[in-house]
This record gives sequence, C-alpha cells and structure tokens, in this order.
Amino acid sequence: MLKLNYPLAHINKPLLKTFFCLLLIFIGIPSFAQKKFTISGNIKDAATGEVLIGATVRIKELSQNGAASNNYGFYSLSAPEGDYTLLISYVGYITVSRQIALHKNVALDMVLGARNDLTEVIVSAKGHNNDNVTSPEMGVEKLNMSQINNVPVLLGERDILKTISLLPGVKAASEGNTGFYVRGGASDQNLILLDEAIVYNASHLFGFFSTFNSDAIKDVSLYKGGMPAQYGGRLSSVLDIKMDEGNNKEYVVEGGIGLISSRIKLEGPIVKDKGSFMISARRTYIDAFLKASSDSTVKGSKLYFYDLNAKANYHFDDKNAIYLSGYFGKDVLGLRNTFGTNWGNATGTLRFNHVFNSKLFSNTSLVYSNYNYTIQSFLPGNDFRAVSKITDIDLKEDLQYYINSNHTLRFGVDALHHNLAPGSLTSNDSSSFNSKVIQRRYGLETAAYVSDEWHVNDKLTLLYGARLSGIFIFGPGTFSTYNADGNTLSSKTYQSGDVVKSYFYLEPRLSASYSLDDQTSLKASYNRNTQNIHILSNSNSSTPTDLYAMSSNNIKPEIADQVSTGYFRNFDENIFEFSTEVYYKWLQNQIDYKDGAQLILNQDVESQLVYGTGRAYGIEFYLKKKYGRFNGWLGYTLSRTERKFDAINNGNYFPATQDRTHDISAVGIYQLNKRWSFSSTFVYGTGNAVTYPNGKYAIGGVTTYYYSQRNANREPSNNRLDIGATLEGKQHKKYHSSWTFGIYNVYDHRNPYAITFRDSKTNPGTTEAVETSLFGRVPSVTWNFKF
Amino acid sequence: MQYMKFKYQLLIAAILLIVAASCQKVIDLKLNNAAPQLVIEANLTDQFGPQYVIITKSVPFTSDNIFPPVTDAEVIIADSLGYKHKLTQSNPGVYSIYPFGGISGHTYTLTVQTGGKTYTAKSTMPYPVNLDTLTTKTDVLSNKDLRTVTVNYQDPKDIANQYRFVLYINGQQAGAIFTNDDSFTNGRYVKDDLLQNGIDIHPLDTATVEMECIDKNIYEYWFSLSQQQGNGPGGGTTPANPPSNFNNNALGYFSAHTTQSKSIIVK
Repeated sequence: MLKLNYPLAHINKPLLKTFFCLLLIFIGIPSFAQKKFTISGNIKDAATGEVLIGATVRIKELSQNGAASNNYGFYSLSAPEGDYTLLISYVGYITVSRQIALHKNVALDMVLGARNDLTEVIVSAKGHNNDNVTSPEMGVEKLNMSQINNVPVLLGERDILKTISLLPGVKAASEGNTGFYVRGGASDQNLILLDEAIVYNASHLFGFFSTFNSDAIKDVSLYKGGMPAQYGGRLSSVLDIKMDEGNNKEYVVEGGIGLISSRIKLEGPIVKDKGSFMISARRTYIDAFLKASSDSTVKGSKLYFYDLNAKANYHFDDKNAIYLSGYFGKDVLGLRNTFGTNWGNATGTLRFNHVFNSKLFSNTSLVYSNYNYTIQSFLPGNDFRAVSKITDIDLKEDLQYYINSNHTLRFGVDALHHNLAPGSLTSNDSSSFNSKVIQRRYGLETAAYVSDEWHVNDKLTLLYGARLSGIFIFGPGTFSTYNADGNTLSSKTYQSGDVVKSYFYLEPRLSASYSLDDQTSLKASYNRNTQNIHILSNSNSSTPTDLYAMSSNNIKPEIADQVSTGYFRNFDENIFEFSTEVYYKWLQNQIDYKDGAQLILNQDVESQLVYGTGRAYGIEFYLKKKYGRFNGWLGYTLSRTERKFDAINNGNYFPATQDRTHDISAVGIYQLNKRWSFSSTFVYGTGNAVTYPNGKYAIGGVTTYYYSQRNANREPSNNRLDIGATLEGKQHKKYHSSWTFGIYNVYDHRNPYAITFRDSKTNPGTTEAVETSLFGRVPSVTWNFKF
Repeated sequence: MQYMKFKYQLLIAAILLIVAASCQKVIDLKLNNAAPQLVIEANLTDQFGPQYVIITKSVPFTSDNIFPPVTDAEVIIADSLGYKHKLTQSNPGVYSIYPFGGISGHTYTLTVQTGGKTYTAKSTMPYPVNLDTLTTKTDVLSNKDLRTVTVNYQDPKDIANQYRFVLYINGQQAGAIFTNDDSFTNGRYVKDDLLQNGIDIHPLDTATVEMECIDKNIYEYWFSLSQQQGNGPGGGTTPANPPSNFNNNALGYFSAHTTQSKSIIVK
C-alpha cells in the first residue's frame, strides 16, 4: 500500500474543505429568473479550416455576455431567450456579426476570414476587444504568429522563444541562447508544452535556435504568473504551444530557403472539411559551409540539426474529433573521426475531443515525450558511448463545463509517468573506460484540479481553483541518504513497484479582476506551483547534456508561491494596451551544488547537492499597440532575483545568475504598403550577475584566483538593435512568394558572452580580463514560397 | 574525469566552429579587492630528499604576479607515529626539511603557525602506481600539425586511485591542470590524453610528465581547480575557491603524494 503519512501534513485540510464548500455555494445558486439557452460550436479560419484559439464571441445587446474559444476552438455561451446579434472577432481577422434567434440550444460553427487588406486594418476598430482588461488572467501573453513572423532575428530564422524573450518579465539566457528566465525563475522552471507534450530541451545547436519551427506553430501562450489550475509541474512559467492542424480545404505547399537552413511544409485535407494533415520539416546546413573551409578539422566536422512536425485530425461529426500529432528533432555534431554527439526530443500526442452537450466539453490526451543524448568517442583506446534519456507517458482528462453565463468550470485529472535513465557508458575491452550504468529512476506525477471562472457582477471576475499534485517515486533501485560531507549514511534497496517516497501539495490558484470602467481594471493573483523534475547543470548556457533528476528521498519538490497585482488600461478604442504588474515570489527547496561537484555519471549525484531558498520580485511595464499600420510594443522590467544557501556565500542572499535589474525591449512593425513591411527590435539589459576574482595567488606555478562573494559583480550591460524587412512578391494565381531581409546587431555592439581571466601574454607577470563576444553585425536573407 | 574533459573540449570546439565570428578583447574591470589571504602550498613526496612548504599572501588582481612571502611562520610536519619535524626557512617564504620522505599508507599532519593563528591539514600518502609509458599523437582538436601527450598506466583494481599529472614541454610547465580518478577506469589499462591548448607541442619537443598519486581530498582540490579553467564559451562552473584541506580559511593545500617522472622526444 502507498504510505502517505508525512506528505499529507502539507495539505491544509480546512482550506481544502472551505474551498470546495465555496465552490459548491457559488456554482449551486440556480437562476430562476429567466429561461436560458446556450449557443455552442467551433470557430474556424475560413480559408484553411483551422480552428481558432481565443477568438471571442459576444452578444451585442448584452455587453457582459461573452466567451472565448478554448484551445480546441470550442466556445459555449449562455443567454436568456431572445433575438440577438453575435459579434465574432479574432486578432488579424475580419469581425463577423450574425443574427440569431435563441429559443432553444443552438449549435453554431463559425468561420472568420483573415484580413489581408491594409485598409481594413485601420478602419475596423470596432472589433477590438478589451479582454486583456476584463479577463481575470494576469501575467499571461498570447502571441500571434503573424507578429512573431515579423520580428527580425538572427540569421533570419524566426523564432518563438526569441520573440518571447522580448516581453517584460522574460529574459534570454544569453546572446544567441534560447534558454529563457521568467520572473527570476531558472530555465528548467519553465513548463514548455508542444501540443501538451513536455519538451525537455527546447533548443538546437546549444541554444542558438529553438526546437519550434514557426511554420508548424499555430498559437503560443505564455503564463508568467496566475497559472490556471490545469497547468502544473514547473515553478516559473508555462509556455503552451499548439501546432497547426493543416488546411482541410485544399493542398498547400510552402517553404523557405535561407542562408543556413531551409524548410518546407505540406498540408491539405484528408477528407475535405472533415480531416486534414500537416507535415513540416526543417534542416540546417551549416556544415555545408564547413566543407568549404580550408581548415581540415573544420572541414571534417558535422554540425546540423533537423526537425519534423506532423499532425493529422479527423472530425467524425460535430461532437467527436481525433487529433494525432508528433515532433521529432535531432542535433548532430561530430569532429572528424574522433568525437560525435547527438541529442533530440521526440513527442507524440493523441487527443480525443468530445462534446457531451452544448455546455460540457471534454479533451482526453495520451502523450509521449522523450529526450535523449549520446556522446561518443571513437579514439582508439579511449572509445566509449554514453547515453542518457528521459521518457514520459502522460494521460490527461480535461473537462470544461460552461454552467451559465456567470460560471465556467474546468476540472480534470492527470497522471504522468517518468522513466529517467541518467546515464550509461559502454566501451569495448581495449578502452580505458569501464562500462557503467547509473540506475534508472521511476516516478508517477498525479494531479487533480478544479477551477471556476466566476463573473460575480459587471465589475468583478474571479478565477479561483486548486490543483492537488503529488508524486510517487517507485523502485526498483537503491536509495541512499548522505551527510553534509556527501558521504553515504544509509542505503536501502527497493523492489519494482515499491513506493520509495511520495509528496503531496495543494496548490491554490486564485486571480481576480475588478473593472473600474470599460477600459480600466485592477487585478490580483496568488498561486503556488511545485516541481519534481530538476536540471542539475552548473553552467550558464543550456547544454544538451544537462542532467535531469527527479524528486527523491533527498531532493524535495521545489515550491514557488507568487503574488502579483496589476493595473490594466486600454486607450483609444482598445488600440493601445497598457499594463503594469508587480510580483513577489518565494522559492523553497532550490538546488545548487557543492564546489567541485561531480555530476556526470555519478550514482551518488544527490550527495553533491545543497538546498536553499530564493526570492524574486519586480515591476513590469508594458505598452502595446496591437492594431494599425504601425504596431509593436515597449516593455520595461525592474527586478531582483536572489538565492540563499547555507553552504554558499556565508549563508547570505546572493543575486542569481539570471538577476537582471533593468530590462528594456522595444518592438516595432510598420506596414509601408501592400508589398513592403519593416520591423525593428531593440533590447537593453543589465549584465548577468557573475563572480569575479577579488585577488590572486600562485599554486603549482600557475596563477589562481581568489573569490570571496558569489555573483557580487556584473558583466557589462547588453544592448542591440535589429532590423528586418519583408517584400511580398506580386500576387499570382498559382503561387505566392516573399523575401525576408534582416540585419542583426545593426550598430555592431559586442555584447559579453563570457568574461575570463588569464596571465597577460603581452605584458608578462600581470593578469588581464578578457571579454568574449559572439555576434557582430549579421545580415540574412530568406526566400519564402507558397503554392 | 577524462569523460568530462572530452565532453567539454568538444563543446568548446563546436561552439567556436559555429561562431567563427566570435571575438575576444581585453577589457578593464573594476574589481573589489579582498584583504591579503594566506596561501600554503605544501608537498610531501615519497622521494627521500628535500620537501618544501611555500607560504605566501594573495595580492589584488590588478597587481603584478609577485606574491609576498610569509617569513615568520613556524612549520611542523608530524608523521603517523606522532613524531614532529620542524621545517626551516631556506628562502623567504620557503620552508624545507632535508632529507625527508613520506611512506605510502601513512597520514601526515602539517601545522603552520603565523600571525597568531594555527593552520592544520592532514594528508595520506597513497600507494604508487607505475607510469608505464608516454606516447604522443596528432592533436585531435587542432588543425595545425600539433601533438598531444598521452600517459599510459595500469590502474589497480582493488583500491580507489586518484592522479595528478604535470606536463612540461622543453622544461616549461603547461598551465593546464590534469587530474584523473578511476571512477570510470578502475582496473583498466588507461590511456589518458593530456588535452590542453596553452603550449603548442611540436615534433622533436621534449615532453616530461610527472605523475602523482594523490589522496581523495587533494584530488577534489585539483579537480575543482581544473573545472574553473573551463570558464569560457560553453560555460564553466560558477567560480569558487577549491576546497582546501587546511582549516581556518587558508588557501592552498597539503598533499602527501608519490611522484614519478618520464620524458620523451615528441614524434
């Protein structure tokens, strides 16, 4: 039997009881006044048949009655019996109005046409909604793919993660790196989901590119705080990415040919209007350039990545649909015939949507996710092959119950099985190395959640709920405990199926918005998150060989509590959106390493860890112009992120590496005419917190540096300006093409990538600090086509 | 941890390949200066002869590499049986005893008294492992016609061994720190490439390698120091002082180790 003695103490029972009582009271209030009916259905793109996520449906006559389509394009809206005008709108699409007679429940699918006419963009201010003000969600950013596609990036490879790092509260790990930090969280504290599958390593080529091929992506949402109860498992953010479903009207081929990579996408109907598929592939060919090199080492090297996204769906009828999607990507790197390494993610998602009735929507998902890497040495006498992998299988049931116009209930369960193989090394008999296998670890993360979006009155909306999350760590395996010096105190061997340890936490998720008027609101939120998968990495950049560890008898789940409050204000018919949010985050059970820790292929890696706390706080300002010829945003963040460990920095708080005092980003996109559009981004940020030497001495004849305080110094600040331009080809009946031009780092500012210290070669007997920077000015050009 | 080194070098090489445009420049930084710290570098070998303890103080980063000797120290080495031997100052800051040698399996205690404080460290002399041969091969990472020196030895199966290698090319010490333990190589015939890029090694150079068998604490000291050398593109570890076996926050180490050297002409 499962033993749950200790962890249950964490659950505040009275709180739990009160919560469910309140829930029942709020929802249970029946409305006797009038007979109500429900309109429900799917909202789709007119040209491709793709469902639209987050499109809004409102009743013109009842200003407070509105609904947004969910992640699967489904909406449900209740209103008293009557004749109404429905307004259906979505960013980048022409707003549609429909007359309906609501005398019974109505099933109504709706299609919206994309705007491609410039004039329309300027005129139709009416369709602009103020959801950002009225919704109780805060700390959330939903990005539109067309906006992402216009932001200039390095080497013309447009990228979701790079665009996200231009938002306030989000910071890129370092130049050219797709790792990102949200509100002071570490990069492993982001939950990155691609069609609901966890993506463990979201970067290609050491983080210079992300694993998300923009061609295959439909929708991106980032939650920095106020996480809805259906998400859990990571402390600092949720990045929820949905793949394109494929055009169910006609076959389309599109692609692009760039300087370092090319991509192609094919989509079309399986059965017209019922099912479609999409396949998208991308490959880089930096190694083609290497072959041209005169340098023999460079010439004989392999360096490329590829990835493949595929998705298919079939709608049996109005009420049942099935989706199958997958991602596969791999990086390959080799140095002549000496070393080789490769790594990659594979994910698969099988989803079933079922509409029970006009008010109850169900999504069932079976998800597979795998991340693995291999390092090989082919050197005679030193050959080996080291492999590490993590495999997840996840079963989820999510239900949305549109009770009435005031209450939308969301609830579900989730069971996620982890199989972690931290590492194994194989070698032949003549090698210097022994074969070695680090024991696998098995765990089951379980969660049950419920939340209710409650429109209390015209002004106040609440989104309140809770997630009960737990983890069971299973045998087989030997689990040890360690003393402060890292020596083993005791060891116990468990059999398959034995529960080694379990933890349970109740995570409250609350947010509220109070409208001062149509365009102004105040919001507040509190939420708790816990995390059971941890990256053990002590370098600053995301490396593909990062080691994953699960919570265990030694590693306790990480916990974050965040409170935030914000002021939201729209101007000028909702064309301008302004918001400011203040947050404070408390972190528990954070992980760091002892000095000189050996993390690689170490069975007792947990003996090398130390545990501490952290705090992060800051204020974010965000001004966005969503519509018009000229659009873009301006963000500013003032923040502080600190950690505290008994064994580090004399037990005092020290700035985390990702601490960034000031962070400014500006994005501007200007549509000059039908053919030309221009874009530009500017970023400025305080340098990383780093540890510089406070003195030096000699050991064994070699200059050695003395350090007294952790991260007490700052690298020089970062700043950069990028520009881009897109030239649309002339309209042809059969095909369409465009050119994308870009210049990265226009004024050629060298941003610090690393600062190192060494004996001076020019001035012997002294030492010097050396700054390494990566990219100067980098131009790019890509040709895109579609037919 | 040869495995670590492989991985690390590979990452560096790869990143540099990607960013052929990367550039380096010397910059001026404002660094905080800590008060001078006591540094003790004490070695006791199994070779009967002079044994040295060097005591200095650290200096600010911006100063010249001249480290002031500590001349008022009392240095005593005690063996397993409790016999105490006093070292005398032969040069400023250099304390020595002659003739003296350590014995494998014995634990020695070094005590340094200076500035009103006493600093103590213990180290156990490991059993020697034979340095079989030195070989050379074409440098796997460089494009030039350079060489890498490989040390070859049979690791004993029954005990945990830790090693440190010091490489000299034409009498000049390579700045890189080479350590290895047998967590991946226990009982194997080990061919350990001394990968470094501080000194270019050409054919006909004379390569000398000193192999030290060191105890576990000293291995951790050198390993921790060697990890920080990787502080560059690809990301080293967060820098910290290597764990000294001295108490009272003295920097440095006391290492009782065996020593054996071999030289070859690079082919």
